[in-house]
Amino acid sequence: MTNGDILIKVEGLHKKFTINGHEELHVLKGIDQEIRKGEVVTIIGPSGGGKSTFLRCLNLLEEPDEGKIFFEGVDITDKKVNINEHRQKMGMVFQHFNIFSNLKVGENITMAPVLLKKKTKEEAEKLCDELLERVGLLDKKNEYPSRLSGGQRQRLAIVRALAMEPDVMLFDEPTSALDPEMVGEVLQVIKDLVNTGMTCLIVTHEMGFAKEVSHRVLFIDDGIIAEEGTPQQIFNDPKNPRTKEFLSKVLY
Amino acid sequence: MNFGSNIIMVLQRYGHLFLKGTLITLAFSAVAVTGGVIFGGILALMRLSEFHITIKGKKIKPLSIISTAYVEVIRGTPILLQLYVFYFFIPSALSFLNLSKFASISLALIFNSAAYVAEIFRSGIDAVDHGQMEAARCLGLSRNQALMKIVLPQAIKNILPALCNEFVAMIKETSLASTFFAGDIMTTYKTVNGALFLVIEPLIIIAVIYFALTFTLSKVVAVFERRMKTSD
Repeated sequence: MTNGDILIKVEGLHKKFTINGHEELHVLKGIDQEIRKGEVVTIIGPSGGGKSTFLRCLNLLEEPDEGKIFFEGVDITDKKVNINEHRQKMGMVFQHFNIFSNLKVGENITMAPVLLKKKTKEEAEKLCDELLERVGLLDKKNEYPSRLSGGQRQRLAIVRALAMEPDVMLFDEPTSALDPEMVGEVLQVIKDLVNTGMTCLIVTHEMGFAKEVSHRVLFIDDGIIAEEGTPQQIFNDPKNPRTKEFLSKVLY
Repeated sequence: MNFGSNIIMVLQRYGHLFLKGTLITLAFSAVAVTGGVIFGGILALMRLSEFHITIKGKKIKPLSIISTAYVEVIRGTPILLQLYVFYFFIPSALSFLNLSKFASISLALIFNSAAYVAEIFRSGIDAVDHGQMEAARCLGLSRNQALMKIVLPQAIKNILPALCNEFVAMIKETSLASTFFAGDIMTTYKTVNGALFLVIEPLIIIAVIYFALTFTLSKVVAVFERRMKTSD
C-alpha cells in the first residue's frame, strides 16, 4: 500500500477570498494533513466546503493566507522557492479538462516536457505515443482537440499531466463535467493509474469510486477536515453527524 | 443644374486630387494602426503586468495604472482635440524634431489608435478561458511561457478581426485631419469646393469613395473572421 515517506505535508492552512473588494469568505479554516508516497486519498464533501480550494492550494494555484505546504521536504509557500519547478512534479487534472485548443492532441502532451527541457523532442514523441496508446487515443494524435468528446478530452488531460512524469497527481472533480456515459472510461484510466502506484489526491462526487480506489478518505466541510479514515470507516461507520448527513444525501 | 454632368466635370478636372486624397487617407490609416499596434501592444503588456509595489499593505501595480489611465484619457477625449494638441502644441514644444504636418498628424492618430488597440489586445486576451493559463502553469510553465505558447496564439483569433475593424474606423476618423488641410480625401473636397463653389457633387464623390473603402474592407474582414472560426 504505502511505503511510508511523506510526500506532501500541510500545516495550518488557511485561505480567504475577497468578494466584491471587501466581503471576506473564509474557505479553509486550518487544515493539517500528511500525504504519503503511493497513497490514494479521495476528498469528499458538500459543495462550497473547500475541497477544490484545498487541492488548488497544494500546487499554489491558490495562494494560502496562512500555513505551510511542504512538497518533498521543501516549503513551497516560501516566496524564495521557484514554484514552477515544483509544479512540474505535481500533475493536475481539472473538471473542465482545459485541453490546449491551439495545439494538436500530440502537441498537448509533448509541449511542456520539450519546452521545459525535461525531454528531447524524440523522447517526448515516444512517450506521447505510449501514453496515447494507453488511453486509446493514438489515432487522434494529429487532430485538434475540438474534435474530441468530453471523455476523450479528460483522458488526454490525464496523460498530458503524466508526460511530465509527476510524483503526485491532483484530480479536481475529474468526472463532474462529463456526460454520464463517459464517466466510466475516465474512472477506468484513473484506476489504471492508481494500480501503477502513483500517489493520487482525488476530489470527487463519485462515492462508489472513492470507496473502491482510496486508501484514505477525507471529508471536508466548512473549511476543515471534519472526518478522515479508511473508506470502510467513512462510508460504513461515519462518526461525525455532518458526515452522516452528507452521506445520507449522496448515497441513495 | 445637372448633377450627372457636374460630377463628371469635377472628376475630369480633379480626378487626380481625389486619387491622391484616397491614397493619403489610406496612408494615414495604415500608419495610425501600425503604430497603434506597436504602442498599443506595449500598453496592453503594461496593463497585464504583474509588477507591483506594496504601499501600506496594499498591492499597487504602477505599470497597469499608467496604462489604464492613458487608455481612459484618450478614449474619453475627442480625437479632434487630440489632433489640435499634436498639431499646435507638440511641434512647438518639441521644435528640435522639426515635425512635418504629416508626421504630427500621424503621431496624433497613432496615440489615439494605440488606446483602442490596447483595449482590443486586453479583451482578446481576457476572452481566452482562464483554465488554459491554469493548465499551462500546472505543467510548470512560467506566466510568460504560458502567455506565449498557449494564451496569445488563442487570443490572436479574437484580436485580428477587431484590429481590421479598427483600421476601417480609422479610415473615417482621418477625415478630421482635413481640419489642417492634411491632404486626405476630405481635404480634396475642401479644395474642389473652394475652386468650383460646388458642394453636393464633390461630397457625393468622397462619400462613395469612403463607403467603397470601408464596405469592401468590412466584407474582407467578415470572410477572414469566418475562416478563423472554421479552424477552431
